[in-house]
Amino acid sequence: MSPTATLRRTKKTSAAVTPAPAGYAGKLLRVNLSTSKTWTEPWGPDDMRECLGGVGLGAKILYEEVGPKVHWDHPDNRLVLATGPLAGLPVWGTGGLTVVTRGALTDGATSTQANGFFGACLKYSGYDAIVIQGQAKKLSYLYVNDDTVEIRDAGHLAGKDTWETQQALEAEHGLSGHRMSVYGIGPAGEHLVRFAAIHGDYGHVASKNGCGAVMGKKKLKAVCIVRGTKALRAHDARGLMQAADDIAHDLKTDPSTSTLYNYGTLPGVLNLSKLGVLPIKNYTTNVTGMDMSEWEPVKLREGFDHRGHQCSACGMRHCHIQVIRKGPHAGERVDEPEYEGWSGAGWTIGLTDKDSITWLNTRIDRACVDVNEFGWVCGWVMECMEKGYLTEQQVGFRLNWGDVEGANRLLRMISHREGFGDVLAEGVKRASEKVGGEAARCAVYTMKGASPRGHDHRGRWDEMLDTCTSSNGTMESANPTFPTEIGQPARIQPFDGEQVARLTGGILGRRHFEDSLGGCSFTFRTRIENLARALSAATGWTYRLEDALRFGRRTAAILRTFNLRCGIGPEVEYPSERYGSQPVDGPAKEHDVMKQWDRMLDVWYETVGYDRATGKPTPETLAKLGLDALSKELWKGGRAGKR
Amino acid sequence: MSPTTAVLEATVEVTTWVTKLVGGDGTGSRVFVERIAPGDTVRQVLRRCSARFPQLDAALWIPTRTELGEHIEVLVDDAVLGVVHDLDSPLKGGERITLLGQFMGG
Repeated sequence: MSPTATLRRTKKTSAAVTPAPAGYAGKLLRVNLSTSKTWTEPWGPDDMRECLGGVGLGAKILYEEVGPKVHWDHPDNRLVLATGPLAGLPVWGTGGLTVVTRGALTDGATSTQANGFFGACLKYSGYDAIVIQGQAKKLSYLYVNDDTVEIRDAGHLAGKDTWETQQALEAEHGLSGHRMSVYGIGPAGEHLVRFAAIHGDYGHVASKNGCGAVMGKKKLKAVCIVRGTKALRAHDARGLMQAADDIAHDLKTDPSTSTLYNYGTLPGVLNLSKLGVLPIKNYTTNVTGMDMSEWEPVKLREGFDHRGHQCSACGMRHCHIQVIRKGPHAGERVDEPEYEGWSGAGWTIGLTDKDSITWLNTRIDRACVDVNEFGWVCGWVMECMEKGYLTEQQVGFRLNWGDVEGANRLLRMISHREGFGDVLAEGVKRASEKVGGEAARCAVYTMKGASPRGHDHRGRWDEMLDTCTSSNGTMESANPTFPTEIGQPARIQPFDGEQVARLTGGILGRRHFEDSLGGCSFTFRTRIENLARALSAATGWTYRLEDALRFGRRTAAILRTFNLRCGIGPEVEYPSERYGSQPVDGPAKEHDVMKQWDRMLDVWYETVGYDRATGKPTPETLAKLGLDALSKELWKGGRAGKR
Repeated sequence: MSPTTAVLEATVEVTTWVTKLVGGDGTGSRVFVERIAPGDTVRQVLRRCSARFPQLDAALWIPTRTELGEHIEVLVDDAVLGVVHDLDSPLKGGERITLLGQFMGG
């Protein structure tokens, strides 16, 4: 491997001579780790308009370049690190990164987002995305500094956790803070843990569907991008600022988003506990049994010494670095957990000591696994040991609910594939199937192989349906945000399957649009109209609400076609026994989702315009979305059509 | 007091960020005891309560005040509106109506 491999000259194609719209860098950076070659590839205005960036671009690359036999661990699998047209511009939170690949948990499409500075640094270096293929012969890292692109030896980084890796690279390059972004894997990715994640910039994680295992299989420890020096302009700078100001104003002043502005996702713990949606002890109860006023966001934050840790161009008071004040880990610097951290590293495993949760949450980020899947794995082991379905001999030690040191020991076993950790490293679905018996009945997962985020979806049927039908290894439609803007009802009866399915199908596409712009899903909790205005001002296009929704539906259909090609269809669109069980207590205890599941699927399929029997987007749907090429593959004997 | 003149009550508990709309600081909860007459519905009680707080009124209802808006969850006795009660369900007295701010994130 040449440590000094540099960019190939850009090929002169018609696309190359057509200037890219404002807002875009205009080039993709291609990296083949097998051959140590790197090169740039122009992409044209038509592709930009059609794919935008982020998941839109990643879905196109995945669809065009990854065949059915290229499984997640095949060298030809692509790892797309993409940003979008707003990245690097002065809209809040626009350092965004979307990772798209064929993931390890479902062996299907993955789209997972993180923030920090990566997207902005990438754009300032002159690239809209990095597309990585091949497999290095030894552990390597990718260094990008404007036109200098080098695949470098990472032997000295082997075994380091993500924070140590970032610190080592900062020291090596003499750059820190906003001047360099590092996204990488920890020991879990190196050991191909199926729920390994990709972490960057101290606390930001692209966590879903084992994207870190894909990176580990490629023997790529990290991608390190110096904040570049390339110019980036908006078509209408004043219009962009106006749209950015409106988005910021709404985030600050709209009652529903002002707590997000002030406290990020911390309010989730208290809110979701009132709705019976906080996942407690691996779905064995929905009753917290404690004074939940202690979990108000202000108390969660003020319990620690903290300082803001904002992402690129962000004015939110969301991300924080904090110091633990008391207990065995007093003085340690940690990342303030998101709601998902309080859930996955806390409530799911019966841990309610806040200092311990914050500590464990950062250990999880540093070993670099998905905090949700870790919660489901660890909670499952704890429940099984309590009930005698797993023994001390099998696991290697006794692990009880709320045992933080034990959970950390399990984390180490998983991330290094030691002992029983080797079984657990396969994720909770495969591990529980391997153990079998009563233990298998306790595990929370989807039959596709992924698992829910940190919620008890038995009280949140829309998210369960979304998680089970999604084509990206996690929730695809996600939470309704200003649903009335797109003609959906302001509220539904949460246990009426038909209403749930109509809403979940009805909002499909909004999230794909957000995740293609290069920003943060939290700062983008605004009306689509505002985002479309920002996009129009950035690029000079006229982009409207209906364009955004059509784009999102298009991207969803491409991801679904890819999954069908991979053999993932409607036969696996249901929850595991525990995931779909009826709660024994709490607000949702009277409601059994599985009694309505088939009907929910019927309505969802009808709403999104996919064929219920085969899972394929119908020819009519594809025609409306301008995806006739997919129609040929799906309905006229192509690769995804043989179902 | 004779049964025919008995005063019925329901409580409206305002929680999370919604407390800011009734003079709070976005934490804890504010509880308002609302007198109700036989046959009063959830809608009527909410209307009376929100009429005293213009900011709550604007956030709770759509501009025409005919339906609830999209950012405040309404629970009656811990069940989300629509499960046991809807807006036009009559109250018997003793119910606890909770206004819970929608959580956007996580």
